[in-house]
Amino acid sequence: MNASRTSGAVPPAASVSETGFDPTLFDRFPTSGERPEGELGELEHVWRAPRGWGLLTVVNNNYVGIFYVGAAFLFFLLAGILALVMRVQLALPLNGVLPQETYNQFFTMHGTVMMFLFAVPAVEALGVLLLPQMLAARDLPFPRLSAYAFWAYLVGGLAFFASIFVGLAPNGGWFMYPPLTSTAYSPGINADFWLLGIGFIEISAIAGAIEIIVGVLKTRAPGMSLDKMPIFAWAMLVFAGMIIIAFPAVIFGTLALELERALNWPFFDPTRGGDPLLWQHLFWFFGHPEVYIIFLPAAGLVSMMVAALSRTPLVGYRLVVLALVATAFISFGVWAHHMFAVGMPRLSVGFFSAASMAVSVPAGIQVFAWIATLSVGRPRYQTPTLFLVGGLVTFVLGGLTGVMVAMVPFDWQVHDSYFIVAHLHYVLIGGMVFPMFAGFYYWTPMMSRRPLSERLGKWVFWLMFAGMQVTFLPMHLTGFMGMPRRVYTYLPGRDWEITNMISTVGAFMLAAGILIFLVDLIRNFRFAAEGNAGNVYGGGTLEWLPTGLYSTRSIPLVTSREPLWDRPGLSREVEEGRYFLPGSATGNRETIITSPLRAEPQYLQIMPGPSVWPLLSAIFTAGFFLLLTVQAYLVGVVSGLVAIWCMIRWLWETDRPVRPPTADIGAGIEVPTYVTGPSTHGWWAMVVLQIVIGMIFLMAAFSYLYLYGVHTSFWTAPPAPSWLALLLPLYGAGMGLAWLARVLLARRRSTLWSPATALLFGAASLLTGFVLDCLSWRWSGLDPEASGQGATVYGLLAIQGFVTGVAVLIALYVAARNSRGLVTRPRNNSFDLAVLFLIYTGAQGVLGAALVRLFPGAV
Amino acid sequence: MWPRISTPSGIVEGLAGWPPPVLDPAGPYAGSVAALSWALIALAAGIFLIVLAALWIALRGRERLRARLGGERAIWIGGVVFPVVVLTALLIWGLTLTRNLSEPAGGPELRMRVSGEMWWWRVSYLDGNGRAFMQDANELHIPVGRTIAIELVSPDVIHSFWVPQLSGKLDMVPGRRNLIRIQADRPGTYAGICAEYCGGPHALMGFLVVAHAPDDYARWLAARRAPRAAPPDRQSARGAALFVSAGCAACHRIAGTPANGQAGPDLTHVGSRRTLGAGILPNNRGTMIGWIGNSQAIKPGNRMPPYTVLPGEDLQALAAYLEAQR
Amino acid sequence: MPEADPAAGRDVVQRVGCASCHVFPDISWPRGALGPNLGDFADQGLIGGRVPNRPDLLAAFVRDAPALIPGTTMPAMPISERESRDVAAYLYTLRDR
Repeated sequence: MNASRTSGAVPPAASVSETGFDPTLFDRFPTSGERPEGELGELEHVWRAPRGWGLLTVVNNNYVGIFYVGAAFLFFLLAGILALVMRVQLALPLNGVLPQETYNQFFTMHGTVMMFLFAVPAVEALGVLLLPQMLAARDLPFPRLSAYAFWAYLVGGLAFFASIFVGLAPNGGWFMYPPLTSTAYSPGINADFWLLGIGFIEISAIAGAIEIIVGVLKTRAPGMSLDKMPIFAWAMLVFAGMIIIAFPAVIFGTLALELERALNWPFFDPTRGGDPLLWQHLFWFFGHPEVYIIFLPAAGLVSMMVAALSRTPLVGYRLVVLALVATAFISFGVWAHHMFAVGMPRLSVGFFSAASMAVSVPAGIQVFAWIATLSVGRPRYQTPTLFLVGGLVTFVLGGLTGVMVAMVPFDWQVHDSYFIVAHLHYVLIGGMVFPMFAGFYYWTPMMSRRPLSERLGKWVFWLMFAGMQVTFLPMHLTGFMGMPRRVYTYLPGRDWEITNMISTVGAFMLAAGILIFLVDLIRNFRFAAEGNAGNVYGGGTLEWLPTGLYSTRSIPLVTSREPLWDRPGLSREVEEGRYFLPGSATGNRETIITSPLRAEPQYLQIMPGPSVWPLLSAIFTAGFFLLLTVQAYLVGVVSGLVAIWCMIRWLWETDRPVRPPTADIGAGIEVPTYVTGPSTHGWWAMVVLQIVIGMIFLMAAFSYLYLYGVHTSFWTAPPAPSWLALLLPLYGAGMGLAWLARVLLARRRSTLWSPATALLFGAASLLTGFVLDCLSWRWSGLDPEASGQGATVYGLLAIQGFVTGVAVLIALYVAARNSRGLVTRPRNNSFDLAVLFLIYTGAQGVLGAALVRLFPGAV
Repeated sequence: MWPRISTPSGIVEGLAGWPPPVLDPAGPYAGSVAALSWALIALAAGIFLIVLAALWIALRGRERLRARLGGERAIWIGGVVFPVVVLTALLIWGLTLTRNLSEPAGGPELRMRVSGEMWWWRVSYLDGNGRAFMQDANELHIPVGRTIAIELVSPDVIHSFWVPQLSGKLDMVPGRRNLIRIQADRPGTYAGICAEYCGGPHALMGFLVVAHAPDDYARWLAARRAPRAAPPDRQSARGAALFVSAGCAACHRIAGTPANGQAGPDLTHVGSRRTLGAGILPNNRGTMIGWIGNSQAIKPGNRMPPYTVLPGEDLQALAAYLEAQR
Repeated sequence: MPEADPAAGRDVVQRVGCASCHVFPDISWPRGALGPNLGDFADQGLIGGRVPNRPDLLAAFVRDAPALIPGTTMPAMPISERESRDVAAYLYTLRDR
């Protein structure tokens, strides 16, 4: 099933190919000759956006991307306002602007909102907005998933933020350390708002990450091999990969803490064999990579803009890519530098200190790559350049203080002091906020009729830059003077009032800059997918091709990193439809799926259009979590069931083969329109999802082993290992039946029902295994409330139970599709994904059951 | 209205923000870190200037200099070789220092235990067998020139023990026992503060370390261990009775009396403390009455209930009695 | 009051912690709730509800209240005579606005 075979050409032996595609076919582009009339009109018709209230059902990345960026920016403003009020409170010693409790809620919300509701969604939003354009895809591969991720984030985020207006906002700090956040010391529902609200927004982040991984790897323009990918796409790929690995830690952490709060399972209670430090390990295993999760995409933006504004390719492209990947790897070995002061063994302290220093090397590579690029070109003094240079200076200073705090003895002094407040704001504002503002100025012309004002932009920059320095530079000194973080006030007489007053003045300068930016935005930003201001700054990458809602008229063949610079006629040729997919080949929304390494065309993906179901799913998912938080359990569960029903409705319309089975994507190259198996975007997404679930499972297993190491004395004997002789065959049968179902589906002689029946029996076998697994522990007398062992064992079971439940649901769903004749033969995507999921469920069941029975018992 | 900034008037003489305590060490455990801090500050400033210079050349420099910067060689030198060399050197220094700081400085150590509690500090002075022979709260008295090994524990949430002039900080984690060493080389009063957010009035959880010359320390200790006299006057005697009848004794202990509560700070020596409310108020009869009568208005959320029902004479008597507990 | 400095009085008030029982309009912490709010003290006719509000009596009262009004909750405070006059002068700046 590949394009070269269907087109009948035989690849020459010498050419290298990933998929068997004949690269000489690329020589057919640009095509010549007239394009048929009405082709463009049809493209516009197919991709038109709904109007009026219907706009809420929009799924196109231009709209969802803009909404997403706007929502993230809104949360940036809200959290910024909280910061301003806190700065007023701290301007004077013993000031009375904010009472203690309100201040504690404010600083918790400031950190939480900035990290979870602004920074991560903001970069994800920029990905949704920019990636399809940069990759010349018509849209991201799962437009409805983007819409769902956005709406879930917006609805959940707003409801979460609203908790501060009723005094119910969390007050345990954005890091939520137990036991302070356990029921004993936080009996109110404030902490639950954090746990359920953030847990929910993490789901949205993961949905976005899956979208981005598959988008970058599978929807690039033909010819855009990995080494020709824009740096931003690399950064987003690494970003999404990091989310996949890091977020499960905090998902499991929040789940465990919520279980401790709601059901009294002692994950973190030292009197019953839990450990407060387990939370810190889980939280920072997520929390430190989180910083790079925020920084890397912004660094990708900087690399793009530095090259474009200098009008020269990025110096050291390969080194920068290497640096991005290296950062990701090292960042998973630095989490415990947030814990130098908890009293860790010296050996681990040394390891984490070394890793924390090492992570500055890839940052240094990028900084010098940018400086080198700036020296090759002649950047003009435009607003984006100012923000880039200002961000660079700020980030370098933050990086240097970062190296300082990686020195353990120094950290023992400044840890949790205002020195750290200064350090982290230098890194995050210099590394993420300034690049983002540079990006706002640089990319606005891509989707607005008018660019933003250069004159106002300079004001914005200088106020923000000066305000940033005035606010945070004195904080280094405040920290040396002994002022701890997270204090709502301080006593006079230690000179803290001097530096604090300066910081407050600076904060208002910073705010004034942002205010002017809003003025600029209101005066000049006019959304337009077509007829926008265009390539004001002379960028060389594909997002500057002329576009409509359908993205580019035709999808260009990419032969270099800056195609627009290297082939001056490219824009015209693209606009004339001389490349791939110059119209709608099947009358549907569609994009070309290409291979992950060399971007060879594989098939034509039929994309879904506007739909109300992602919106409704998001609203009811949010309702489920929020209603649980306010302890309206019954309504909450109903809302959750409605959400599931909405999702099934949304999925029901997907995975339908279209006619014809192959289509011409330009120059006579025929590719299939329905493909199954490991090359499909759905398969890739499922594998990524399984990595996420597997990581959650891994975190639970880690917690089990960790608590065993800390409090062995609380451990009791597990059920007899002979249980495995029953459980493993059951889980194995589940996996085997799932596989058999796939085999049966391909058989010519299978009846209509036999594959679905096998699938259902597989799910039933998994369910039986899970139920017996639970019962064996019940009968062994272990109570989840009794000890850390109980909590983690039942925690593992809870995850298994959730996964099993989903597996059963999926099997029923596929059986229902089968009964309506929607399961194609011999292969079907929905069916394949169900099989994959069932196999995963069985494998996780085997691992879980074996781990808690054989360790430590059999060792 | 907008409050005026008052003239700096620390509640305890001798505490000031300048020179910054982190960089103004009073003993070896803070001293070596202060030296490291200065070196790090100088190094960071130096590297920052180098980067600024490179940036300046890139943007404004002569063609020849810019050509040198504009290649992969510059990235290798500036982004790889230079950092690796500097960081390796730093790492060796840092790890060596880490080891030295977590080991005894030599000589017999005094042992104490400090328990961080919401939102005050329980202090125990330990004998050679690790048994507590004296209880106190919110104030540590130490002799100059001796290393003090302090066990750090917590019965409730995580707190962190930090006296910048004497050492770095170390957390107090429920279920664990950490050991920190401090030493003062000159007599004086050193401020400490809780450095891990512990909810509610975390901001108002300070304490003091008072370092005495060795002879003074011996005298101080002898005085503390001397037999205690009966309440000196009628008012204090009435206070002593009230202390039990009004319920104070349920939470507070005064050694040698029936009062043996363990929930709140030990008040055996409260009269000699420099501060009230964990390092936040000066200690005099007025603040003592204010604290007993309604501490919630002073330190919202603290565990002591208000006693507004007590008549003035009773509050006066209690304050007089407590003032006498020195 | 001649030869008394309200600003110095305010510093004394802060130093000895009068605010642990009283609310002062220009001191935002603590805002003690045990004693009366002194926000409009200058307009009060009596000190402690018993003694005429006169500068000399006020200075004596803030220094040693029980000597003037036996049984009051307000204790003697560790301040000098000079400081007590400053404190009194400061208290007379507190008017209801």
